[in-house]
Amino acid sequence: MIEPVIEISGVTKTYEGQKLALDDVSLKVPDGGFLTIIGPSGCGKTTLLRLINGMTDFDSGKIVVLNNDIHEWEKVSLRRKIGYVIQGAGLFPHLTVKQNIQFVMSISDVAEDLQEERVMELAQIIGFSESQLDEFPDKLSGGQQQRVGVARALALKPQIMLMDEPFGALDNITRRNLQAEMKQIHNELQTTIIMVTHDLNEAFSLGTVVVVMNNGKIVQADKPENILANPASGWVREFVSTIRT
Amino acid sequence: MLFIPITAQKIRMITGSIPEFFDTIYQRREYLYELLIQHFVLSLTAIIIIVIIGIATGIAILRFKSIRQIVLGFVNFIYTIPSIAMFGLFIPLVGIGFINALVVLVIYGLLPMIRNTYTGLNEVDSLYIDAAKGMGATPSQIFFRIRWPLAFPTILSGFRTMVVMTIALAGLASFIGAGGLGQAIYRGINTNNSSLILAGSISVALLALFTDLIIGAFEKRVRSRKLHTPRNKLFTAFAAVFFIIIPLLLFIFNSKVNSPGRSSEIVVASKPTAEQYILGEIIARLIEEKTSIPVKRTFGIGGGTSNIQPAMLSGEIDIYPEYTGTAWLFVLKKKKISNPDTLFNDLADIYNKEFHLTWVTRFGFNNTYTLAMFDTTASREGIKTISDLAPKSNRYRFGAEFDFFERDDGFYGLSALYSLNFKKIVELDINLKFNALENGTVDIIDAFSTDSRIRQMNLRTLIDDKNYFPAYQAGIVVRNETLKKYPELKSLLEQLNNTIDDSTMTMLNYEVDISNKSTEEVASAFLRSKGLIK
Repeated sequence: MIEPVIEISGVTKTYEGQKLALDDVSLKVPDGGFLTIIGPSGCGKTTLLRLINGMTDFDSGKIVVLNNDIHEWEKVSLRRKIGYVIQGAGLFPHLTVKQNIQFVMSISDVAEDLQEERVMELAQIIGFSESQLDEFPDKLSGGQQQRVGVARALALKPQIMLMDEPFGALDNITRRNLQAEMKQIHNELQTTIIMVTHDLNEAFSLGTVVVVMNNGKIVQADKPENILANPASGWVREFVSTIRT
Repeated sequence: MLFIPITAQKIRMITGSIPEFFDTIYQRREYLYELLIQHFVLSLTAIIIIVIIGIATGIAILRFKSIRQIVLGFVNFIYTIPSIAMFGLFIPLVGIGFINALVVLVIYGLLPMIRNTYTGLNEVDSLYIDAAKGMGATPSQIFFRIRWPLAFPTILSGFRTMVVMTIALAGLASFIGAGGLGQAIYRGINTNNSSLILAGSISVALLALFTDLIIGAFEKRVRSRKLHTPRNKLFTAFAAVFFIIIPLLLFIFNSKVNSPGRSSEIVVASKPTAEQYILGEIIARLIEEKTSIPVKRTFGIGGGTSNIQPAMLSGEIDIYPEYTGTAWLFVLKKKKISNPDTLFNDLADIYNKEFHLTWVTRFGFNNTYTLAMFDTTASREGIKTISDLAPKSNRYRFGAEFDFFERDDGFYGLSALYSLNFKKIVELDINLKFNALENGTVDIIDAFSTDSRIRQMNLRTLIDDKNYFPAYQAGIVVRNETLKKYPELKSLLEQLNNTIDDSTMTMLNYEVDISNKSTEEVASAFLRSKGLIK
């Protein structure tokens, strides 16, 4: 059994004056896994993701990340150990591609020459030429922006990377290409990835483990083929029925 | 703002005098240069303070929601107060001069600076803040690396608005004796010198325009995000030189020139009339020629006695020419005295005891109030005295400056005594009432008996047959402290006793107002003719 890098136990979360966003959620994330979280809108998948890097707090339960209780982590240093990719990439418009990739390194006082070196490595991974590094984000296509977003998140070689609907705003062709690239990056770097998505095909093709959520609860978490073969309930069967196999 | 009615004659006056205009600039280059530096220093000091307070406040209201509406509402409210009123409002608090002007400029400039700082910072998309936070940026890293640079273009455009506004508004600073290019404009208006008005206006406009261009170019570069190319680094360096180093040098240079120990300097003031400029210059020049005391001129103080008297009491002004009637009725709020000599003696007594101010001497002329109308109208209607006018007054419109309506020896007492009943009463700027008469806005105005324009415009002054107006003999008021410090001043100023009679004063006024000679020229020519200076 591989040691989990993230262990969530009985976590409950309520947003002010609303119903339960997370209802007694427990989840173990194995090191090097690629978890995809899927479920209808408002099921709590993004909330679950944001718990892991301390962007959202919770009411009760326990979360252990990289062997430490999340409440013992200093938030800033925890986040620097976890890559974070958001929908639409969220590239800083006043910084060039290179400066965007450098951002996490520069706020963590990585030496300049090491920053340069790492930028070049990452540029190669996402297939950017040197001249493209000096472009500003608004000159890039959606797919290119998202690639930079991934490179930016990988800058400090994090053990964990969180991705919140990273390819949500892209066209199908670009999306397929990026999915393939993500798979390759995961295979090469063995980074533990947790990705929230609303695209079933994406979830099932990328995930080594797929987490299906509904109404703030995890209804099933298993290997994709197991979910398709043995859905935990009629609802899950119905929910995954549209997938192309 | 100053309102100048444009007539065909005015346009001819302006266009027809282009050589005269350049001559004025050349002749007065040192004066204009000094004003330009004053303007620059005043504006720049205000701008620096506004930037510091404005940005700090903008950040504060971003953080503290509870004070946001109060602060924004307050600066918005202040912004709606007319600037002239604002200068006046601060006189009791900070007196006249540089500090007053600075306070007002800062207060006005705060709105665009605070608003744009707040708006810029607040409107940064939360997506970027979230991304930075999620990547482990500390709150200060989020602020300085994300929020601030993204808000910077908005803050910069607020800065630009504020700078141009401050430079323009500093043109009004001369109103409260803080100098600047507005002084040339104001002096030009007071002495009927359109070249000087033009020189002052154009300088202010050019200064504002040039500054705006530079900030605009900088802004464009910020927006195109190409600030760090070598060419733009050069530009940034140039802008830095323009905004920091030059003003700094000017400031140092200026303080060297202007303050040979501020405490030793004597401040001579005057009200904003040509006559007062001349008298002020005569006093200043005489002191400069005959003693080694440094003299500072703050001529043309807006609001006249109402603003000079408090400054005399607080020690910001040491000497100024005043009229006995004004002092007796307006300052002391006493009842009328008919005998000019009794008036002077009583006045000197009370001033000495109550204010520690000395009436050193009287020039000799009596510049009292009179009513003036076109001679043609007056002779057609057979109006010679104010009593002649009274029964016909309902056919005429009357115009005067606000002072005349306010003062105890002014309009209301006059119309009560003579039963005047004008068709319409118009409040005018003191400098524009003759223009108003000329272009037919009003038919009758109040005027001073030594005013050159009475002669020039062929006006008739009505005889005050009921002796309503008291004596307005011009004299010199000096602070007792100043006399104590410089004992030689008293006998020196006494040399001016009885040197100017009514017709001499009218003539001196005429030379400045109509012949467009500079007050310096006229004053020194006068002093020379009396053998008081070489």
